[in-house]
Amino acid sequence: MSAIDTIELSELEKDALTEVVNIGVSRAALSLRRMIGEHVLLSVPSVEVLSRQRAATLLVQQGGDQLVAIKQSFTGAFSGGAMLIFPQARSLELVRAVTGPEMSHDEIVEMEQEALTETGNVILNSCLATMANMLKRPLTMSIPHLVKGDGSDLLDQVDDEGDVGLVLFLYITFTVRERDLRGYIAMMMNMSSLLALKELLNAFIDETMSEEL
Amino acid sequence: MNLQASPPAGADEPLRELQDRLDLSLKAAGAVGSWEWDVPGHRLYFDARLATFQGIDPGEAAAGLPVGRFFTAIHGDDAPRIRIAVGGMLRGAEVFFKSYRMLGPDGRTRWVEAHGRCLFDDADQPERFTGVLVDITARQRIEERLRIAQSAGGVGTFEYVPGLGTATVSEQFCRLLGMEPAPVVAVAAVNGVIAPGERPLLESRPVRVLGDAEYRIVRPDSGEQRWIARRGEVMPDTDGSGARQIGVIFDITDLKRTQGELNELNRNLESRVEQEILNRQQIEERLRQSQKMEAIGQLTGGIAHDFNNLLTVIIGNVDLARRRLGAGADERVERALANALKSSERAAGLTQRLLAFSRRQPLEPRAVNVGRLVGGMFDLLNRSLGEQIEIRTSFAPDLWSVEVDTNQLESAILNLAVNARDAMGWQGLVTIRAENRTIPEAGEGDELRAGDYVALSVTDTGHGMPADVVKRAFEPFFTTKEVGKGTGLGLSMVFGFVRQSGGDVAITSVPGQGTTVELLLPRSAAPAGEGAVTEVAGDPRPERSATVLIVEDDADVRAFAADGLREVGLNVLEAGSGDEALRLLDQPEPAIDLLLTDVVMPGMTGRDLVDQARQRRPDLPVLYMSGYPGEVIAENGRLGPGVVLLSKPFTMQALVARVAEMLERAEPA
Repeated sequence: MSAIDTIELSELEKDALTEVVNIGVSRAALSLRRMIGEHVLLSVPSVEVLSRQRAATLLVQQGGDQLVAIKQSFTGAFSGGAMLIFPQARSLELVRAVTGPEMSHDEIVEMEQEALTETGNVILNSCLATMANMLKRPLTMSIPHLVKGDGSDLLDQVDDEGDVGLVLFLYITFTVRERDLRGYIAMMMNMSSLLALKELLNAFIDETMSEEL
Repeated sequence: MNLQASPPAGADEPLRELQDRLDLSLKAAGAVGSWEWDVPGHRLYFDARLATFQGIDPGEAAAGLPVGRFFTAIHGDDAPRIRIAVGGMLRGAEVFFKSYRMLGPDGRTRWVEAHGRCLFDDADQPERFTGVLVDITARQRIEERLRIAQSAGGVGTFEYVPGLGTATVSEQFCRLLGMEPAPVVAVAAVNGVIAPGERPLLESRPVRVLGDAEYRIVRPDSGEQRWIARRGEVMPDTDGSGARQIGVIFDITDLKRTQGELNELNRNLESRVEQEILNRQQIEERLRQSQKMEAIGQLTGGIAHDFNNLLTVIIGNVDLARRRLGAGADERVERALANALKSSERAAGLTQRLLAFSRRQPLEPRAVNVGRLVGGMFDLLNRSLGEQIEIRTSFAPDLWSVEVDTNQLESAILNLAVNARDAMGWQGLVTIRAENRTIPEAGEGDELRAGDYVALSVTDTGHGMPADVVKRAFEPFFTTKEVGKGTGLGLSMVFGFVRQSGGDVAITSVPGQGTTVELLLPRSAAPAGEGAVTEVAGDPRPERSATVLIVEDDADVRAFAADGLREVGLNVLEAGSGDEALRLLDQPEPAIDLLLTDVVMPGMTGRDLVDQARQRRPDLPVLYMSGYPGEVIAENGRLGPGVVLLSKPFTMQALVARVAEMLERAEPA
């Protein structure tokens, strides 16, 4: 059992993680483009490592107490849960962005659940799969589903393996049909998973720094 | 060679469009150049501008450089993460959007923002990595200044479009409110920090003006209460997004606290100043009163002195005339003279009272128990107050004795009793009390010294006095009685006597209920004596023939006195001044047995004369006669040692009696 109760990613490790996830969302954007038939641009500007409490506070302060998320858990070299989170006010916009302007409001509301889940699935899957690829380790993912609530509710629902755990908090910008939507990806991992992730990130860094251009 | 960033043939049309649009807008924004990286060819190309920017020969740059050159000019601290980002690009990341520092050939550091795209072939391998660099040094500096201004100044910024659920804020904004730092926050979260009952900080209704406002907040991270001020402007709608509220917040908790303390201090100060002013006013009042009394005292003393001299002559002569007239006199003449004498004596009494007020009467204090003194006065009191007034007394059993002139004290008590009687309309209750009292350290403006006193009070159940009357009660000639009923001198005499004795007097009165006059008399160290003043009874004459030297500058008074003494068989020498007197004293013959001198004389005063005379004749008996004995009187109205005083106006009888008494006591010269 580790004696440290907090873990930190160095700046370079954070950069590496940001890039890995960037790759992941780029792949997702590709898929979404095919799905929607429109330009989609996804980017992840930065990542933070927070305690669960701070992450919950941040979520509340970001989007109030009404959030919608698509969550998925994963196991493998590192385990935990991942969520794609949007403020509820934005989620319908997202659906509209994804489904197109032809749909009526009622139709969109009906489609909300399905559209969100599908979109979230694409993005999260892609992120996690890419991470697995880049870090050269396999990951098994569960089936994603939709949840609604406030910051604490959402974070509580992710299973982790017992200890307190930390949250990798990533801001994500979702540009489609010339609108920008902001959301978050939160990855919950326990201590040992984070340590494993650190190792893998460093391997990625080494490889990148030394490769022939 | 393509120096413009353009996608290879076969790429998506819309993508190319996007790229072109990007190019155009970036150029407009001040791009410093573009690059193109042929990935499989391991070759890097800069356009002319970018080449020059980095100090590379444009021809060389157009011909192609080793890829590593992409990183050469990048600042050492930023290079690793750019390297990783490039790595990410090559592995599939679509967007390359980074800012970093570049070192120019001139050695200067610039901030640049790189916008890049990676194009992949059908096998998903990176084919081309292209982009533009924008010089954002100026923008970076401005942002830096803004950041520092905020953190150093403790100011946080916000931008908000009413109706939206979120606002764009600075890190400092979040910190000031105790929120997690984030570039975007929910409006509900911000307004939730405000204490209940206050207006929201971010107004969701559109307003035309963002007024200055202050809020009490409860920090979500610590629970601490702080005060926050908000200032800002409403910028009009220019892009269809609605009017924007742009402003700042800053912490004013310390300011509020200081304000609060200042207000408190001011309030205290005001009341303290009020109190102080009141105190001063009271002291000034007392001073004024005291000065007034002093001035009146001077005046009356002066008048009394002169008056006394005249009266002495009048009384003396009238008295003489009566005696000369003898038994066979015309009755009318006899009566006329008697009236003249009576009136003169009353006038004398008046001047006495005036002198009493001016505290210049001679006092002969002795130790006395006031309880016993009052007891001795009982008959007198009962007669004066009448049958319908009850007199009660209450004296402390261990009452201290006081040092006062007993005549004056009796007179004062009688005065107070008579006032009480008049206030009660000749019926009611008069209570005379006496108790021991110790006065602690005197306050400012009090003339009374700390020490032991006996408090003697006379209380009545009469109509009392309102406050404005009480204030003036001790003034001479001030009276509330009708004309003809009372001279208005009674209380002023009491005042003068008590003050001269080292004490104080105070009146407490409730209109409609009654009045108490309280005298504070200094305690005597000596035990009370039993006897009253010895009276000079009868008509004593000197038993032997002796020589008296009379010194008086007023010729009439001198003549009067000299005649009177010669009549009883004394040998009298006269001198009109101190010098003359000394010359006479120096003569061996005749030997002078008694020096009778006025006190106040032009040139050498009586006192000086006596000092000089005593140098020649230390045992010489001295009798002062005076209507204004201010100088002779030493402390507290007491006469100095060896000083015997005969007050003007005196009757011949009194003069002779005194002289006889002194000659008797003295040894023959």
